[in-house]
Amino acid sequence: MRPSLHGRLVRTLAAGGLAVGLLLPAVGTVSAADPVVLRVGTTQDLDSLNPYATILVVGYEAFGLTYNYMVDSGPNLEPVPGFADRWERAADGHSWTFHIRDGMKWSDGQPATSADACFSWQLGVDALKSKPKVSLGAGYLEPTMSDAGVTKVECPDASTLVATTDDASSRVLQISLPIIPRHIWAKETYKTIGKAKFTPPLVGTGPYTAVEWQTGQFIRLQRNPNYWGTQAYQDEVDIVIYKKADTMVQALKAGELDYAHAPNADQLNQLKTDPNIKTVAGSANGWSQLAFNGYGADTGKTIPNGGPSTKALLDPAFRDALGYAVDKKTLVDRVLGGYGDLGSTIVPPVLNAWHVDPTTPRTFDIALAKQKLDTAGYPLNAAGQRLDKQGKPINLRMLMPDSNDDYPKVAQFIATWYGELGIKVSTQVLTSAALGEIIYPPEAGAGYLAKYDIELWGWSGGIDPNGLLQIFECSAVGSSSDSQYCNPAFDKMYTDQLAAKTPEARKAILAEMQNLIYDKAVYDILYYDSNLEAYRTDRFAGFTNQPVSNGVPFFTYSTLQYTKLTNAATTPTPGPSEAAASGSPAASGSPGAVVLAAATPTPSGSGSSSTGSSGSMTPLIIGIVLLVAAVAVGLGFSRRRSKAGVALDDE
Amino acid sequence: MSARYLGRKVAQALLTIVAIVLLNFILFRMMPGSPERVLLRNQYLTQEKIAQVRAEWGLDKPLIPDQLVAYVGSTAQGDLGYSFFFRGTPVTDVIGQRFWPTLLLIGLGELISIIVGLAIGAYAGWKRGGFADRVGSGVSLILYSMPYFVIGMPLIIIFAASLHWFPTSGMLQVGATYPTIFDRLVDFGRHLVLPLATVSLGLIGGYSIIMRSSIIETRSEDYITTARAKGLKDSRILRDHAFPNALLPMVTIIAINLGYVVAGAITAEVVFNWPGLGTLSVDALASRDYPVLQGVFLLLSITVVAANLVADLVYGLLDPRVRS
Repeated sequence: MRPSLHGRLVRTLAAGGLAVGLLLPAVGTVSAADPVVLRVGTTQDLDSLNPYATILVVGYEAFGLTYNYMVDSGPNLEPVPGFADRWERAADGHSWTFHIRDGMKWSDGQPATSADACFSWQLGVDALKSKPKVSLGAGYLEPTMSDAGVTKVECPDASTLVATTDDASSRVLQISLPIIPRHIWAKETYKTIGKAKFTPPLVGTGPYTAVEWQTGQFIRLQRNPNYWGTQAYQDEVDIVIYKKADTMVQALKAGELDYAHAPNADQLNQLKTDPNIKTVAGSANGWSQLAFNGYGADTGKTIPNGGPSTKALLDPAFRDALGYAVDKKTLVDRVLGGYGDLGSTIVPPVLNAWHVDPTTPRTFDIALAKQKLDTAGYPLNAAGQRLDKQGKPINLRMLMPDSNDDYPKVAQFIATWYGELGIKVSTQVLTSAALGEIIYPPEAGAGYLAKYDIELWGWSGGIDPNGLLQIFECSAVGSSSDSQYCNPAFDKMYTDQLAAKTPEARKAILAEMQNLIYDKAVYDILYYDSNLEAYRTDRFAGFTNQPVSNGVPFFTYSTLQYTKLTNAATTPTPGPSEAAASGSPAASGSPGAVVLAAATPTPSGSGSSSTGSSGSMTPLIIGIVLLVAAVAVGLGFSRRRSKAGVALDDE
Repeated sequence: MSARYLGRKVAQALLTIVAIVLLNFILFRMMPGSPERVLLRNQYLTQEKIAQVRAEWGLDKPLIPDQLVAYVGSTAQGDLGYSFFFRGTPVTDVIGQRFWPTLLLIGLGELISIIVGLAIGAYAGWKRGGFADRVGSGVSLILYSMPYFVIGMPLIIIFAASLHWFPTSGMLQVGATYPTIFDRLVDFGRHLVLPLATVSLGLIGGYSIIMRSSIIETRSEDYITTARAKGLKDSRILRDHAFPNALLPMVTIIAINLGYVVAGAITAEVVFNWPGLGTLSVDALASRDYPVLQGVFLLLSITVVAANLVADLVYGLLDPRVRS
């Protein structure tokens, strides 16, 4: 009885259609009473709302919106009011007085005073003085206080905090310890605060406070009605977490998102064609590098069954020669799609107050590289293999993390170029966890072997270059170092630059340090990445970059940019940051892009714009064509298959 | 069904779970890479900090017996520990947040695909060689061979990004306020349509292909010929005689698949940003979040074992031959 079967099928389909139909009308119904929500997408999963525990950029964004630093950073990274509304240095230079804004309230209505500031900064001072040393949570925050040389914090009255420092610089204005409410956290100490549960809703003095967090899904931040600064247009900022950048990009195009953090170069180029989307490529404060394993160059120590595969890697002349064989322009153009700057020294150019170009730069010249290797005592054998001083052919093992899709492509180029020198390179992609363990030398613990030759990975730093410089200190071997480099001269310069009395004096030392690492070719910094961002211009206007000249709107050193958004419908020209560039980023700021597993930023470049139109129908057409093609292929296939099936059945 | 049969099956299941608990522990720790290396790569890292974290997480103690004993002891008490990645959030909380989304998406997907898949397979097998068979089997085979993201991405591009009928991703509109629970349900339903369609489409193929061959096999049985000889209508033979008998081998397959419901569908979850257990386990694997991994795998193994136990029992009920 065919009809009955068919009938049932028809009924089922009809019921399904009805259900779908019921859901459809709900599309885009937003009533006037609904809160205005700014939705920001990222592919980074939040690890913790505890400011001391998080180590991810998205975590800094969440607590940066909720809490204030004592001093915030403005459009050009200059110090601007945060928890304190003004500050001054004592005449003798050894103390700073911060004035806490009068009448300021926490989001729960409690008065926000110097007692909160003293409590928060005291946590940092206690952690720095602790013996044995205990970090504040993950240990990312108090180094900014250590850099500023703060030794004592006092609060003589409710609106005054006095910090004693032996530091000659003004790094005290860059301290990135959030000011948290004492009336909620008073029971915590520097030992416990890193493990404290920061369960939303949080109480802060920032423009928005975190009210809800679903792991792997989103963080909701609602307007702080007691915020002391200018209230923004949006009532709520929601950070939406995506597993896949492709989906995030589609959501941005569909208008479900207003801002997408860190799409890749291809996705950014695709988004450029949408008239309602503006793209930005800001200079990232970080790089990708080849780190050569120089373990034992200073001490003569070796690791049984570990360490570099050839002593050549310990020789600066050898590493220097390799540097001539790498065409960085090709890497930026072919791998990063042009979004990046050629790599050189260990202070990224975005920190233009401190960056210097190398005095004696290496250029791409394979012939010169060969000649330098010959001169340095690394001849070719009859088979065309480059030999080390022990007469052994040099085969280098290059490792990279799987967290960055660009690295395997980079590795291909490097292997080809080194191959022309007679040096064979074998490459391997590993998870960050596995790679991290291979890099560790015995100094990190028994059983670690540092068994690698070249590590292809990246770092990103804060607004002060200190963080990135520390990787090359002797004390970093066994912790953050991935070159195992140790040079007491560098360590001494590090201490000297900390004590430098004037920015000029500091820069002179920093220049020397940058050239030292460059000349010794400890790293071959391939490129400085870009921060790629995209946002819609049809709902919100007033996006501004930080820094103005080469920054991006969000995920920067401050969350003040969130407070500058306006309603696009009432703003005649949706003007994204067009202010003049005046970049002296030396001062102030928060901890910047301190990333870890993702210490491998995104591609770079400078400036970009949204152009073109059309394109919105293209994906639809492509999708339909794909679908039709799949069905056609399937039908053809089924035909052949059923014929074969019949033949078999008839046996 | 005898008590002995039941007892034996339950004991087997419990033993399997105990073995899995032990295996879970060893398996993840045999992987290269340790959690503190993923979580702490930063320029301010000191050796003291590494030691401090290792101590906090109990990684400084010997693997066997200290870590193993602590793990087995707490697992037995239902304490799955604290996530490394989510900085001290209890594993039960982390898994709890992801459990229902997965169960809903994959559970519903399984349900739809079982119904539709069995129907298509049965009809195609019954009409073997006919037009319905050619189309049904062809489409089934294509869907069977398509990974979720190949099905899902075009759906997003067509129905979400271009036509705006459905949202691209997520489970609820983030930050939305719902006047009534009904609005919330509608929003959830809208978000569910595309991922559910993807999962169902991906699963239908497998069921329909197996059902088709099962029906074809049944069709040549003597009792079908008898039924036909009795003059029964074609549809009645299919419904009352062929279908129930062809269903028997499906019970095992369905049970096994249902056991894996909590494993999630990783690629579908990734494409639609569905906050499920599949993506959670992948992320936990990447960050060497041992406690979460152990928790997810424990949950998974318990459901798989339980589903198989149920299958054994149901089979015993359906087919007397199995019991002997």
